[in-house]
Amino acid sequence: MVRRVLTLPTGRLAVGILSVIVLLAILGPTLAPHDPLGTSALTLAGPAWEHWLGTDYLGRDVFSRLLAGSRTSVLGSVEVALIALAVGVVPGILSVYLGRVFEWFTRRIADTLIALPFLIYAVAVTALLGNGIPQAMFTVGVLVSPLFYRVARAATLAVARSQYVEAALISGASVGRIARRHVWGKVLPPVAVALAQTIGIGFVVVSSLSFLGIGVQPPAPTGAVCSPPTSATCPTSRGLRSFPRF
Amino acid sequence: MSTDGRPVLQVDDLEIHYGLRRRRRRVLHGVSLSVTRGETVGVIGETGSGKSTFARAVLGLVRASGGRILLDGEDVSRYSPRQWRALRRRGVVQYVFQDPLRSLDPDLTVEESLIEPLLVQGVARKEAIERGRNYLARVRLDPELFDRLPGELSGGQRQRIAVARALVTEPALIILDEPVSALGSANRVGILEILKELRDTGVALIFISHDLGSVAGVADRIAVLYQGEFVEVGAAREVINNPRHPYARLLVGSAPTLRSASADRAQREALRALLHA
Repeated sequence: MVRRVLTLPTGRLAVGILSVIVLLAILGPTLAPHDPLGTSALTLAGPAWEHWLGTDYLGRDVFSRLLAGSRTSVLGSVEVALIALAVGVVPGILSVYLGRVFEWFTRRIADTLIALPFLIYAVAVTALLGNGIPQAMFTVGVLVSPLFYRVARAATLAVARSQYVEAALISGASVGRIARRHVWGKVLPPVAVALAQTIGIGFVVVSSLSFLGIGVQPPAPTGAVCSPPTSATCPTSRGLRSFPRF
Repeated sequence: MSTDGRPVLQVDDLEIHYGLRRRRRRVLHGVSLSVTRGETVGVIGETGSGKSTFARAVLGLVRASGGRILLDGEDVSRYSPRQWRALRRRGVVQYVFQDPLRSLDPDLTVEESLIEPLLVQGVARKEAIERGRNYLARVRLDPELFDRLPGELSGGQRQRIAVARALVTEPALIILDEPVSALGSANRVGILEILKELRDTGVALIFISHDLGSVAGVADRIAVLYQGEFVEVGAAREVINNPRHPYARLLVGSAPTLRSASADRAQREALRALLHA
């Protein structure tokens, strides 16, 4: 599959962009030209040669904080996507095979999770589990999982009635074997698209929750430059306005 | 496996309904048929007559609402899904679908599709590949096709692979649902030749078709299914030369290759009027 993606020019471009993001997440803190926590008298400065993206209200270099914080944001969004994948995909595939009772319960749970108010629920659960990025992202992952449940279920339904799945069934293959050999390969492409979409959502969610004071705590840097109390100064700084998020 | 003379398949008074309550619709009614080892039975009927439903009931894919089905001596009418899986793993019955492209997983190579039933049975991979190659040769295909994907093969090659996949577990009964209707005339003849050879190996075959011409040269007996009931069951020669039920007469009369039994247009219209009456 990876080979197939790399044969397309758009695929190569996407892999290139992703590689840069991953490299920045790994090497970000090392590449930062300034100490991301180091303050200076030069506050709310605009972009300049010394501070590419300017400085914030405490005189900290925004570019260094962005590089240092990208790891937290990338890891957070990947955690959201992987938890959503694990919680959503397996029940989505099995709901087609394990009978009406399992299907009914999993569909109702997915509907309920969709109906929950996203941020309020995330705030409530992190209050219960303790404030931190892993807890917050776990909650968000569970809330996003209905997307994966529905995508996996729809893709499985399309395959489940196919003749080659019936042929496997007639050979005595178990549900697990059918899911592994025949269904998973067909479910993977739409799930991969949902995964990419969720990682993007994850970036915004890490920023949103940090803005609300959940997850990353000041003065630790994240991809979200405009987190409190910096947010109040965002409108007055050209640098922060231009690069409010990773 | 059954011994000679004992039916591989015995169906008694089979009833199948689809839908619930007011939408409940009878698809098969009082269907009885027995097939012994080495015998080929052709099931003929028009679209919607219940041919595929009959096959699916024998395979346990559709639940019977009445009657009983004995497969290799076992009453499978009330089998649970677990019992069905155990029975299928023994490879007693196999199925060949009408559309050879859709019956093979497009992402699996010929090898993987062909040996899957053997791997499910617990046969070691190396032995399964060996057996798969033998059966590929038996359906007159080049073993080099083993690494190809279904999309790289012709319709005839794909259907031969589907037949080989049904054969590989050495089943007592193979149900072929319109196996040649999606094929061109050259491939059709090739598949029918393979089926004739199969008949001689002792496996029981049920050949489902709407085309009497395809079945006539292969089947020992023919069962005519009309509106969910077997209206005529008899030796192939008898049904073709001396059809008794109006629908069987219409079928024979409509077959262009059976010149001796063909009816002219006026006779066919008279038979249709008789059926509708």
